[in-house]
Amino acid sequence: MTSPSGVRTDLLGAIGGVPRPETDVVVDARDVNKFFGRLHVLKDVSIQVKRQETVVVIGPSGSGKTTFIRCVNHLEKIQSGRIFVNGHLIGYRETAARGGLPIVGGLPIVNRLPIVGRRKGKDPGATKLVEDKEKNVASQRQEIGMVFQRFNLFPHMTAIENIIEAPIHVRGTSKDEAMVMGRALLERVGLAAKENVYPNQLSGGQQQRIAIARALAMKPALMLFDEPTSALDPEMIGEVLEVMKELAREGMTMMVVSHEMGFAREVANRVVMMDEGVVVEEGTPDQVFSAPSQERTKTFLSKIL
Amino acid sequence: MTASLFSRFGTRRALLAGCLLMPLVIAGCSGNYPVKPNEFWNSLFRPSPAIINGLGLTIGISVAAQFLGVVLGVLAAMGKMAKLRILRVLAGIYVWIFRGTPLLVQLTFFYYGFATAGIFKWPGLTIGPVNILPEIVAGIIIMGVNEGAYMSEIVRAGIMAVDPGQTEAAKSLGMTYGQTMRRIVLPQAARVIVPPLGNEFNNMLKTTSLLVVVSVFELYNTFSTAAGRTYATFELMAACAIWYLLLTTIWGFFQAWIERRLARGTTGSTDQTDYSLRARLIGLRNNSGNQGH
Repeated sequence: MTSPSGVRTDLLGAIGGVPRPETDVVVDARDVNKFFGRLHVLKDVSIQVKRQETVVVIGPSGSGKTTFIRCVNHLEKIQSGRIFVNGHLIGYRETAARGGLPIVGGLPIVNRLPIVGRRKGKDPGATKLVEDKEKNVASQRQEIGMVFQRFNLFPHMTAIENIIEAPIHVRGTSKDEAMVMGRALLERVGLAAKENVYPNQLSGGQQQRIAIARALAMKPALMLFDEPTSALDPEMIGEVLEVMKELAREGMTMMVVSHEMGFAREVANRVVMMDEGVVVEEGTPDQVFSAPSQERTKTFLSKIL
Repeated sequence: MTASLFSRFGTRRALLAGCLLMPLVIAGCSGNYPVKPNEFWNSLFRPSPAIINGLGLTIGISVAAQFLGVVLGVLAAMGKMAKLRILRVLAGIYVWIFRGTPLLVQLTFFYYGFATAGIFKWPGLTIGPVNILPEIVAGIIIMGVNEGAYMSEIVRAGIMAVDPGQTEAAKSLGMTYGQTMRRIVLPQAARVIVPPLGNEFNNMLKTTSLLVVVSVFELYNTFSTAAGRTYATFELMAACAIWYLLLTTIWGFFQAWIERRLARGTTGSTDQTDYSLRARLIGLRNNSGNQGH
């Protein structure tokens, strides 16, 4: 089956089927706090994404939703709380809180702010988060695909080279195998003809579809989308959303920061509303859009719907 | 007559020829000086083995020192941007010292100074059938280390010019710091680095003439010695200048070619940008309306 923009069904067939996350709860963020200097941008944020679920995070700009999604693959550091993906603590190791400097990579690392575990049933201060080795963080990120607002395709590589880069150099897949997978992905996002084209010769919508294919090529257990349609011309939004809808339908576990309420209504299993660094409310799209319980959600929705 | 010359060969060509002949014209006008035109013409069109050898040394030392400079420059730039404070401090001290003192002083200090104080005597080097004299080894290394200090700033600017989104995309795919640098950041930084790198090499070709102080017989030293022997300083130095001009001009072609290759995948790479030699040398762009008559 092919749509007008050439997007085909069975997207995940290109990477050998739906990647199976190891745990039922794929993203488990607990009481995450984050500061930019003195600015408290995430305040005790707890969000869960279950296996094969699509969670859409909405909220006004400056609400911390983009910062939060970037914390999930440790592109941003957090000051307290825990984020588990697939059961693994992301970006940090827990160590005994007091008792000398923890040793990481041969040299002591001192966090600027004391990090105190706040999990219920645990003595506060019993453990402390220490940033993990860069190599370990890198291997955790292999399981987490990310799509950016501004695509961030590698401009010195063609479409297919962008897609096969990480499978070859990170996963160690053979070039032949990666090419087969890369072509299958390109074909299924409707861009088979653009294999040897450089990103600057492609439209925004085409670039974003290739960026999605690039992330999928790593066979991630989780896909993060950070406002994937916000930098697109209106007529190109549809083709990107189409790919994302197809992914959700096929059972990819996804966390999406978006202003596309239509997409959220149609695809999301749950919608999370954030404002000023706090999770204001969450529920099914019907609950949040038709009968919001919080005043701030009502105000926000009335402005954008 | 001048008018006819201009119209016959085109303005620019006539001017160029005029410039090249200028030394002899001036010499001819300065009554008392016995011009030795043969010294000038022979060293240009029938160069002695010594001159050929000097040319080879100048090119060889320049390439080797520049290569060393680029390697050290990349390392120092990464050091300056490292998380570890000690690396930043070390890179900072290196750049501070080698950019802050004259190359001439560095050459004499590390070659003669070290030898006199008995700290270190530069060894020669044998690679297969080739013997490299100690002063040449010293020259390459000292000039390379000096060049590295300048390159580090150029490389750092290049790395910082790459969109931070590129690093984030690479990280999000699971690449390590080293992979991100090698595969994603440095190839893109190269586009920003190559034009000033070309200038650095142009400089390097000429700066090797300072190696005369450690008695390397490169191009300048060869001519300088010949001038001392024949007293034809005027003619020989004019010829020497033309040799250097030739080297830097040929390098200009290479630089343009490399820059065109690197432009792949960037905006405007499909444009026919004029990188002709003339455009690079005298800053004039080719446009048909301007081509003589």
